[in-house]
Amino acid sequence: MPELRQLQQSFMGYLLGEASPVVEQIESSADTSAQQRLDIYATGYRLRLKEAIMSDYGRLHFYLGDESFELLMDRYIDMYHSPHTSLRYYSEHIEALLAEHKPFSEVPELVEIARIERAFNDSFDSANCNTMKIEQLAQIQPEDWPEVRLQFHSSLKVLPCEYNSFPIWKALSEEETPPTLVKENSSWIVWRKELVSRYRTLSDEEADALNMAMAGGSFGEICKKLLDHFDEETTPQQAIFFLQTWINEKMVCQLSV
Amino acid sequence: MTRPFLGFGLGLRTEHYQYVLDNKPAVDWFEILSENYMVPGGKPLANLDLIRADYPMVMHGVSLSIGSTDPLNKKYLKDLKELAQRVEPHWISDHLCWTSVDGNNSHDLLPLPYNEVTINHIADRIKQVQDYLGRQILMENLSSYVTYNDSEMSEWEFLNEIVKRADSLVLLDINNIFVSAHNHHFEPIDYIRGIDIDRVMQFHLAGHSYSGEMIIDTHDHDVCDPVWTLYAEALKHFGAVSTMIERDDNIPEFPMLRAELAVAERIAADTLSADMLQIPENRLSGVA
Repeated sequence: MPELRQLQQSFMGYLLGEASPVVEQIESSADTSAQQRLDIYATGYRLRLKEAIMSDYGRLHFYLGDESFELLMDRYIDMYHSPHTSLRYYSEHIEALLAEHKPFSEVPELVEIARIERAFNDSFDSANCNTMKIEQLAQIQPEDWPEVRLQFHSSLKVLPCEYNSFPIWKALSEEETPPTLVKENSSWIVWRKELVSRYRTLSDEEADALNMAMAGGSFGEICKKLLDHFDEETTPQQAIFFLQTWINEKMVCQLSV
Repeated sequence: MTRPFLGFGLGLRTEHYQYVLDNKPAVDWFEILSENYMVPGGKPLANLDLIRADYPMVMHGVSLSIGSTDPLNKKYLKDLKELAQRVEPHWISDHLCWTSVDGNNSHDLLPLPYNEVTINHIADRIKQVQDYLGRQILMENLSSYVTYNDSEMSEWEFLNEIVKRADSLVLLDINNIFVSAHNHHFEPIDYIRGIDIDRVMQFHLAGHSYSGEMIIDTHDHDVCDPVWTLYAEALKHFGAVSTMIERDDNIPEFPMLRAELAVAERIAADTLSADMLQIPENRLSGVA
């Protein structure tokens, strides 16, 4: 079977744009040469990958414009082959390309917009869970509270932004002219509530609490973190308020003690 | 072998979810693209479950890569088996092709050289897949644009020999026969007549596009008249075979696609007896 393997490697090399001897193993006909026949596959390969990227990053496409987005796609396809059995996951490295390669790395909001789009894409088909109901909190014994830890819906992502990328993304989603770029720190969350993806902004206090909780911190550790923002008397009430909010918004799958 | 006949189906596409859920249109069955539902959760699987409750289904994959010289992808097979347990399809199909090598996926259905070495390689892999899934699978013929120098037989001889050695089944794509016949200069009817009748379980119909002297299998047009003619010939040769239309681009509103399926029903009614086209009442149950 070495001949078949070599043939497949040569064929794949041709699709990937590498020097390949595969054309010598293909028959030409009177109307169409071997290379023209191979080029149907090579053209189709890039087209399919581009369709996948366009499908995943429609807002980024709108923001960059056709010419720059085409450059981005060509660069991405040259840099990344697909190890996946589904095109759904092909564009997973686009943020890395945007962050690390000029001219895209010179436009810092691009990474943030791409990250927002990826969070929505991932929330769409992330794993289901039976989210907690608020009544379940009553079952926790008072002495267990400090060690309570939360397990969140797998779709939940905290997206810290250094620019007004979320308002830009929102305008792009509504096919409106995006606002002027402004440097402003903010935190947002994207998650799926039942079958619909949601998003909202976080206060600095809630962002600290949620980041701690998502990192596996206990309720006691969340409270300790919130002492950066609140006094000792109001901190537990604030922590409970955040916890109730997350449960009511169906972000929490379960509590463990 | 008695061939199960599901009737006339369509490929389930996301564009039509809401229409199907709201209207429950009269379609005998749906074919799903397996990879679209090999995801952790969310809307795709929720819609799938809702539609499966009302319609028989079959599963059709594009990434088994049965002809690859890479090892079989165990993770893919595990996910495929889990999906089959969820969907309980009447059958599972993929293509007689390779899609990946050295871990790189082309996301295309790439042709194979038609020779003894390839036959042995693929028949052995199909047996492994069938053992793992606990069921026979269907292999579909491709549209192809190249012929390898070291092919030693016709495509239909190659397909016949593989499914015979692997004891697997055939999904015969009538449009792909038409496309490949044009691109490789053979008579499509020779392909139809060359296939073992008892192995054929399903037909695909689709549209295509011309690119210079070649025809490309684009699934973006209606089924053309010569393919309908070939379909009628296929029905005469094989008898009643579960038939569906694939549409993957330039997708029309559901009623238009349903109207196109009615053409297939009409051709079948004109070609075969009503007895042959009887659809079993209990076809909603599939195979877990």
